[in-house]
Amino acid sequence: MERPRIVVTGGTGFLGSEIVKALVAAKRFEVTAVDINPPALGTETFSQVRYVRASVLDAENLSKVFIEAQPAIVVHTVGVYPLGAARYTTKGKKTVFEINVEGTRNVLDAAKECGAKGLVYTSSVAVLFDELDRDFRHVDESWSTGRATLTYGQSKTIAENLVLSANVSDFLTCSLRSAPIFGPNDISVIPTIHGLINRGESPWIVGDGTNLIDFVYLSNVADAHVLAVANLLNSGTAAGEAIFITNGEPIAFRNLCVAIWKEFDHFPRFEFTIPKSLAWWLGYGSEWLSWATGSEGTFSRGAVKEATRTCYASIAKARRVLGYEPKVSLPDGLRTSCQHYKKKLNGQKRDESHRLD
Amino acid sequence: MPSPLTMLYYLVHPNELRSIIQWKTWHNPVHERDESKEGPALKRCFHFLDLTSRSFSAVIKELHPELLVPVCLFYLVLRGLDTIEDDMTISLQTKEPILRDFDNILERDGWTFTENGPNEKDRQLLVEFNVVIEEFKKVKPAYRDIIKDITKKMGNGMADYCNNAEHNVNGVNTIADYELYCHYVAGLVGEGLTRLFVEGKVANPALLNRPELMESMGQFLQQVNIIRDIKEDMVDKRRFWPKEVWTKYVTNFEDLSKPENKEVALQASSEMILLALRRADDCLYYLAGIKEQSVFNFCAIPQTMAIATLDLCFQNPVLFQRNIKIKKGDACQLMIESTQNLQLVCDIFRKYARKIHQKNNPHDPNFLNISIACGKIEQFIETIFPSQKKPVNMASPLSVAQAEKERKEAQEAKWDIIYMVSAVMLTIFFITGSMLFVAWLAGARFDIAFSEFRQQFGELMSLSDKPDARDPSENMVINHSEL
Repeated sequence: MERPRIVVTGGTGFLGSEIVKALVAAKRFEVTAVDINPPALGTETFSQVRYVRASVLDAENLSKVFIEAQPAIVVHTVGVYPLGAARYTTKGKKTVFEINVEGTRNVLDAAKECGAKGLVYTSSVAVLFDELDRDFRHVDESWSTGRATLTYGQSKTIAENLVLSANVSDFLTCSLRSAPIFGPNDISVIPTIHGLINRGESPWIVGDGTNLIDFVYLSNVADAHVLAVANLLNSGTAAGEAIFITNGEPIAFRNLCVAIWKEFDHFPRFEFTIPKSLAWWLGYGSEWLSWATGSEGTFSRGAVKEATRTCYASIAKARRVLGYEPKVSLPDGLRTSCQHYKKKLNGQKRDESHRLD
Repeated sequence: MPSPLTMLYYLVHPNELRSIIQWKTWHNPVHERDESKEGPALKRCFHFLDLTSRSFSAVIKELHPELLVPVCLFYLVLRGLDTIEDDMTISLQTKEPILRDFDNILERDGWTFTENGPNEKDRQLLVEFNVVIEEFKKVKPAYRDIIKDITKKMGNGMADYCNNAEHNVNGVNTIADYELYCHYVAGLVGEGLTRLFVEGKVANPALLNRPELMESMGQFLQQVNIIRDIKEDMVDKRRFWPKEVWTKYVTNFEDLSKPENKEVALQASSEMILLALRRADDCLYYLAGIKEQSVFNFCAIPQTMAIATLDLCFQNPVLFQRNIKIKKGDACQLMIESTQNLQLVCDIFRKYARKIHQKNNPHDPNFLNISIACGKIEQFIETIFPSQKKPVNMASPLSVAQAEKERKEAQEAKWDIIYMVSAVMLTIFFITGSMLFVAWLAGARFDIAFSEFRQQFGELMSLSDKPDARDPSENMVINHSEL
């Protein structure tokens, strides 16, 4: 029997490359990785995978690539996430919407046009959690979306609605709402938290430090995507569904930070608690300061809210519908990712010292 | 009279004093045992219960009358078994057959045992064990079978441990051994009690289909005791902490209490605490299956005491110096809150989970796992008592199919209302109709009633001075005179 062909958009990216790896490991699929970039230096590539360069914003080219690849299922992972202060402002909103929303529309069109049977979309818990004024305790998929206040969450919501409303009997779609992903080559979670050490911000605790937050390890999300692909090809019970994917181990945000710093042998020498309300005003002041000096600070009201609120989801549906089980535990995943980041940092240092010579 | 030091203590800790007073004044037992109906043998049994159990006697005596005697005897039987097993002055040749045969001994009239050493604190129970046997005979056969079955399993388990020379010299080896040991001494008790509860119809029978829940109930209590009693057990040369755990931190078990090992000893204790903490959510789940208040109290009090004890032991170097105990005021507060409902018990678990979490030490190798275990407890509580309501759906429906579905649902809801209203109307008409019909059959004159009604209605209207609307009888009179 012929093996089902799978196209992975963003197939050389952080998550996409991991999904490609997991699909190859499953040994049941023919994989085409579509990305705007070729595989980065030093990342794993596979001889049996076709790598094709195309942008999701170039509808015409994308369609050509898809028709050529004739995928049974398209896995759409392309998305942009505004890092740092930009997350809480409307700066770059246009680009984010273009890639996350228009990009998704193009991929959907191209997938339908080439006769694919379905599409798995990488959504985000942000469709719910980007409503900053609310706590989310053990929420499930029956919570309605559409109240996100941040650019990222808004764009992901629109895209997710596009994907799920495209679900019809001969084109099955499902949306995997991933928690923030960490892993080797991660540019967001671990580097951001690690960055606090050098800025001397590690001793400060905002709020009481007991608020729980969800994360997910890279290979676990990749597994979930493979399970979703298999589901759409077989029973199709995931069709039209949005599903939370996390590590199922909500953790106090402060403790996660401390655990990451620990991997880099940093222990805050003292701890100082700032009450939430004071922190909010400090964040406000810091925003003004950044504005006045034209620099970019990390401290803002949004960041304060995000650091002090509770948001985690239930993965009961993922377990039930997809048979998902996070294989790599949070502690194991963190260790691997931090080791990797440490090596990368050491490599950079070495490069710099060479340059000084 | 309390000592001046105690009085001074409560003077600066008024909250604790308040809890004690509150508990003592306001706690009403759900059920009270009726001593007037008890025979001398049963009275003697309750006497032994007070004598042998520090913590369980009070909660057992408040149990539902159906379960009071079976649970009390179950406790005394196991205590008797334990007293034989613990006594090092009895030779293995004497001990083993008794342990293995204890379930049959329960049916041997007048059996007593006098060979316990003079220092064994519960020896008198065995000297007069005939009273327990006498009462055991009167218990319902279904309860008797359960108690016998557990006694058999536990007796054999204990005999195996006594025979196991390695265990006696080195204590518990692996974590699996440790959990097996706790299974024999506590997990089985959990099983026995659960079966008694289900038999007495005070617990959800589904509990029997999830054996890991009742196992966790026993494991949690036993593991917490083993953690707390480390110093006492060390002095007695007993070793229940698994070797697999402590060898990661020290080479000799006794080194745990050396001051220079303070740091690593705490790390060993936090690994032990982590093992216990992972059972906490199962215990809450189990409690959700209890249907009767006195049984709930009986199960919940030891559990909340246990999580509070875990918090007390966590990151506490005193653990290795002397025996530590929860303060009396805190214990009373826990009892007040554990004798009401599951939600309050969950609140206690969350409170102590957060306390543990806040004492968590980043230098400890178990730091992250303890944090995750605490998070799991909170998450589990959220699954049984969601603290949030879903916001009203403001967003557009997800897909065309869903919009169609929602439209249909709205349509159905509309028709439901129409049907309901017509059903109500029909019923009213039918009942009125049948009442009128019955009245008619009984000779009611509706024609008169109708004309009367018309007349009176007309009078009512004629108050507005209409000349025509006069009494028809009057008209008749005039007409008549004209004739």
